[in-house]
This record gives sequence, structure tokens and C-alpha cells, in this order.
Amino acid sequence: MKKKLSFAAAILIYIMFYIFIAMSALEKNIDFSAYQSYYRVILNGWFTTIAISLVALVMAIFVGLILYLMRESKFAVLYYISEIHKTIIFGTPLVVIAIIAYYYIGDAFNVDSKFWVGAITLALYIGAYIADIYKGAVEAIHINQWQTAKMFGFTRYQTYRYVVFPQVITGILPPLAGQFTMTIKSSALLAYMATDEFLNTIKTVQSVSFRYPEGFIIVTIGYLILTIPLIMLVRMLEKKLNYKV
Amino acid sequence: MKLKISNLKKCYDQKGVIENLSLEVEDIQVLSLIGASGSGKSTLLRLIAGLESFEAGSIEVNGHNVVESEAVEYRKKVGFVFQDHNLFSHLSIYENIMLVLEKVHHRNRTEVEPEVKKLLEQFGLMEHAEKLPHQISGGQSQRASIVRALSIRPELILLDEPTSSLDPILTHEVLSAVKLLAEDSIDFIIVTHEIGFAKSVADYIVFMEEGKIIEQGDRNILESPKSPELKRFLSKVLTFDGGQM
Repeated sequence: MKKKLSFAAAILIYIMFYIFIAMSALEKNIDFSAYQSYYRVILNGWFTTIAISLVALVMAIFVGLILYLMRESKFAVLYYISEIHKTIIFGTPLVVIAIIAYYYIGDAFNVDSKFWVGAITLALYIGAYIADIYKGAVEAIHINQWQTAKMFGFTRYQTYRYVVFPQVITGILPPLAGQFTMTIKSSALLAYMATDEFLNTIKTVQSVSFRYPEGFIIVTIGYLILTIPLIMLVRMLEKKLNYKV
Repeated sequence: MKLKISNLKKCYDQKGVIENLSLEVEDIQVLSLIGASGSGKSTLLRLIAGLESFEAGSIEVNGHNVVESEAVEYRKKVGFVFQDHNLFSHLSIYENIMLVLEKVHHRNRTEVEPEVKKLLEQFGLMEHAEKLPHQISGGQSQRASIVRALSIRPELILLDEPTSSLDPILTHEVLSAVKLLAEDSIDFIIVTHEIGFAKSVADYIVFMEEGKIIEQGDRNILESPKSPELKRFLSKVLTFDGGQM
């Protein structure tokens, strides 16, 4: 009970703080009517954000796997391609990558769809982080699990299939759910490549209605609706899957 | 068992841990390797298991020439009990046993079920069969590891200090389980610090120090050691009095 009251108090303080900031920023009375008339466009943008994040994450899971396998490859050239890609991604802001991808790489490969350029850019970006999640999860498999599989006569395939893979899956689920949150948040940067996702549609309405603070309130709530359940899912998975080797 | 080791040499980082070691025994059921930590006894056991390669010499176990890179089939005939049980952490005790039997030994689940249940019963694990390794005690895990090694009907079982990470009560529990192997006339080699236990079950005892065999013979060498090294070692260790599980 005490915990719940503390939680409610914390939420109240936070909302009051947010209202204070919003009220200071609002020159006139709060008015969402412009956003009401554009609700279909905004909703479309919101669903585009969900769709682009989902597509990007699914692709990123494979990009990450390919990058991880390249890193573990016997061929040094594949190892270096993977490492160079990761170094570039880790060292460059997503917004810069998004602009370059849209204006130059998309053009070079004749990809006109903003949606797909955006999703592929996100997948290549998030995939680099997911490659490291795989690496960490495989390295977390205790050496004794590999030794035991070897001792009992498992083949390399059987070791991965029955011993390593099931343990890696449980190990990567929480960080993967975390990466999905990251993907949703990162997708906002695709507004810079004029993709019609959530932030961009809100920006468009803002520019015609001049109701900027209201737009930011909607955009914050819109992203939180998507990310809060994911953050809770990560915490739940971490709690549930936290077993000792 | 029949064991013939000739001029064996094993190095880690160019430092010799087994130096020119030779050992020949025949018609013995229980061989015990004793010695202080770092004496090379666990390394020797792993070499006998075909888990690691060696620099020079040869190992012959029951007519099998043991070479790590070619020992896949040999290892399938040898049960191994590791220091830290090494059960597959994502599988229940029952599935730990079944996975090896089904996937490596291609045994039919329904056919082996009665056999596995009998072993679990014999080692007092039936009520824990569906639990994950982290849900049972260290002693129970180690007994489960023994059952898993036994389930493949091995020619020989190798036990690498199965009680080293256990408290005295659990040590007693595990050693009593190992005693069951001796009573069932199963050949095994055990690396142990439990001198009283070695005395009560071993037909042949090998005492090692700094990668060399210092003294060997039947259990009488523990009553009347000849070498000053074994005398010194025995004066420092605790004893096990046998007993019930």
C-alpha cells in the first residue's frame, strides 16, 4: 500500500511539473482543436512509426545475426567488414546516417520509398547494437556448458541447437525488447528524411496551426503509450528469466 | 578397466603441467587420483577423457587410443562428472538426461524412460526430476550429474573432484552416491581430496605432485606411505568415514 501511494505521489509530482512547463510555454489557452481536425493524419503517422519500428526491428534481428556471424567467421575480411560497420554506426549520430541514407544511398540504389529507406537505415543502425547483444549472450554461456556438450559427444550443430541457442534466446529477450524501445524512439529521427512518421506529422500540423506546445504534448504521450509497455515488458522479462547458471 | 599412459606431456602457455607421466594399470575397478590443488590430477583426468590435446606421449583406455581431435566416439562411451555438476541450466534434471540419450545416443524416449526413472529413484532424485538445476541443492545437482553420466551406460565414468564446491553435509551426500557406483561394479576414475573416501572405495591410488606421479599402489599406500611428499600430504588432509546417503 505504502509503495502504491509513493508511486501515485511520484506520478502526481511529475505531472504537475509537466503542466507547469506546458502552461509557461502556452501563450494562449490550451487548444487541441487543430489536432482534432488532423487526427487521421496524426494517427496514420503514429501507425507508420509502429510499422517502421516493427519492420526495422525484424530486419535488425537478422542484420545483427549476420554481423555477429561475420565477426565469428574464419574469414578475416568478414570479421573486419562487421567491425568497421559497427564502428561507423557506434560513432555516428543516427540523424546524420538518416540524412546520408535518404539523400545519397537511397538514390544510389534507386530506392524511392521513404518508408523502406527509413526502415533499412534503422535496421542497419539497430542491427549493429543487436550484433553485440548476440555476442554478449553467447559469451555469457558458461564454458562448462560447451565442455559438457563436447564430453557427451554433441556435434557442433547439436551444441548450438540444443545447448547454446535456447540459453541465448532467454538471454537476449530483455535487451531485445529494450532495443525495440530504442527503435521506436530512434524512428523519430527519420522525420529528418521527411518520412511521414509520427513526429513528422505532428510537426506538419504544428507548422499550419502554430499550436506548438500542444503538439509536443501529443507527441510525448504518443511515444510513451508505445514505450511504457515495452519498458515494463523488459523489467518483467529480466525478473522472470533471471536464473543462475 | 585397462589404462596405459606413456610419457605424457601437457603444457598450458608453454608451461608443463604434466611432465613425462607414465601409468599402467589393469583389472581394477576404481582408480583414485589424489594430490594437492595444482598437482595436475584434474588435467590428467581431462586428458584421459579426450577433452584436451597433449604435446607428447599416448593414452590408451580399454583399447581406445585417446586423441582429442578423434575422440568423439570414444567420449560417447565415457561418462564424466565435472567439479561444478555442469548440468544444462535451461533444462530440468530429467531433460538433462534425456537430451543426451535422445540426441547423441539416438535412444527412444519411451524405451529409456523406465531406465532413467530407476536411476533417478536409486539416487534419490525422483521428486526433483522436473526441477531446473538452480532449483535444487549442490549435492542434488552433483547426484543428477552422476545419473546423467550413468544413463549412457558408459564403459567408464570419470569424476573430477565432484565434492570440491560442496559443504561437508553435501559432500557426504555425494560421496555416498559415488559409493553406489562402486557397489554396482562400475569402473570409474575419481579425482578427490577425500582421502578417507579414496581409502574406502579405490582399488588403486595414484598420488600426484607438480604434474608427476610420486607414489602409486593399492589403498595400503595411504596407510603406510613411502614418499615424504605423500606423508606430508596425508598429514594435512581431512578424512571421510564412509556412511549412508
